[in-house]
Amino acid sequence: MDFQGIHDHLRAIEAPGLTGFDEPRKPNPEVKKDPGRAGDPYVIVDAPLLPDFLMVCREDPRLAFEILVDLSAVDPSKDDENLWVVCSLLSLTHKHRLAIKSFLPKESPVMPTSTTVHRAAQWHERECAEMFGITFERHPDPRHMLLPDDWVGYPLRKDYEFPEEYHGISCT
Amino acid sequence: MTLPEGATTATGEREYLVDVRTQDMEVNMGPQHPATHGVMKILIRCNGELVTGAQPQLGFLHRCAEKIGENVEWLQYLPYTDRYDYLAAMNNNLGYSMAVEALMDIEIPRRAEMIRVICAELNRIGSHLIAIGTYGIDLGAFTPFLYMFREREWMMALFEKICGARLTYSYIRIGGVFNDAPPGWLSEVERFCDTFEKAWREYYDLLMMNQIFIKRTADVGVIPREMALDFGLTGPMLRGSAIDWDIRRDMPYSIYGEIWEDGAFKIPLGSGEMGTLGDCWDRAWVRITEMMESVKIVRWCLDRIEPGPVIADIPKVLRVPAGEAYVGIENPRGELGHYLLSDGGKIPLRCRVRGPSFSNLAVLEALLPGTLLADAVAIIGSTDIVVGETDR
Repeated sequence: MDFQGIHDHLRAIEAPGLTGFDEPRKPNPEVKKDPGRAGDPYVIVDAPLLPDFLMVCREDPRLAFEILVDLSAVDPSKDDENLWVVCSLLSLTHKHRLAIKSFLPKESPVMPTSTTVHRAAQWHERECAEMFGITFERHPDPRHMLLPDDWVGYPLRKDYEFPEEYHGISCT
Repeated sequence: MTLPEGATTATGEREYLVDVRTQDMEVNMGPQHPATHGVMKILIRCNGELVTGAQPQLGFLHRCAEKIGENVEWLQYLPYTDRYDYLAAMNNNLGYSMAVEALMDIEIPRRAEMIRVICAELNRIGSHLIAIGTYGIDLGAFTPFLYMFREREWMMALFEKICGARLTYSYIRIGGVFNDAPPGWLSEVERFCDTFEKAWREYYDLLMMNQIFIKRTADVGVIPREMALDFGLTGPMLRGSAIDWDIRRDMPYSIYGEIWEDGAFKIPLGSGEMGTLGDCWDRAWVRITEMMESVKIVRWCLDRIEPGPVIADIPKVLRVPAGEAYVGIENPRGELGHYLLSDGGKIPLRCRVRGPSFSNLAVLEALLPGTLLADAVAIIGSTDIVVGETDR
């Protein structure tokens, strides 16, 4: 199915948490300096319902998204008050992909873990947690993944300040 | 004592091991261990010879690739892609270039697509040679590794001729490739293919059909279909469990769709020939068979390549249109994905890398408990990880 078909089907089965979608578009010549948008279309899902949404996507025979390829987060800018959590799903049966985006407020970046649906999410979420400071509730193994356990700050946030030193090792 | 699930094989031959009960012991395998293929630690809990728990610990080779991506220009990031899966740098270049191209509206010249595929497939051969060769070393067979380095050396010499580098190429650029193949290069690739086909037969007999190798890998580390999908495995790890999926065929990119429709290559799948479906031998077999398929793809391109431009017209300072795209390609180890976010400027806003080794490694937590300590090395080797990619 193409993106339109997937989105219509998700609407028809009332997938939990689905709030909208976004598609690439050409720049509008009538609007001044309209950049348009390139790339892939994606659906927007409520962050607290993301695991349920992933479950529906996997179990529905017409969608059959068996593999969670990627789960990551984005800090779009310093001034934005939301973090994005982006997922990429893949269906081997129907040979289609789906990009998912959820918004999380930076003030309290807490969402449930998707490990219960896809165990592939476990390591991706650990990485997300240490890099962006997102808390995944009921995560089975919430340790750091790549950074040392005592690392301060969330490196992939746009307001991250590089440390001067780490245990006496100069970082500059 | 109660056995962890999967501790006994179907034939029951491992039951004797639990006669003696010892205290659980935690062993650090790594960070410096030859079988971890890089700087990685696996904390193994074992009861005698029986592994009861395993916990891979990463980060020793973390080089902040994603953070660097947010601080350099689009073109400047390309050399960093070489460094995550350093055994398949051409494929990484291709993955990143294609992700940027997905955001832009560029037409890649036909000759550039051909050279891209030739280089990517040659690099796949080189990468699998290392994978199979070092796997032999893990299991105590040193000789095949040295033979395989002979062909890999030639492959690297070929790349040296075309781009000047032996390991970190940065040859496939956004919009095409860096320069045209030098005179005589394509015919040398053909000679390489001829030689490799003969050598491949030797490797197959020397390693894959070796009785000791079979005993060490067959029935070991079986990944059932559900586990493979649950952990998001890709590449030979998936195909070893007979799940028929290859992005080159199923979601074709570059000119692979055309090559597939021409019937030039096949997708090898694990069959459980020597033991159980999805065991270590099946994964090694998928890799070694894939090398021959790569040779066929290279030959297809060599037959059809024609002179022409090799790079599209790309400005020196690239501005990528605002938007976001995820592009996944079939690397030797599985799906390499790049998620790129642009605001229309010179620098990416987000440069996420989904490395296949990262997801493939996660399966160890579920696969190792219940196996023997000696088999643990065979299983880790069969996942064929590159630590540069898991840690990025």
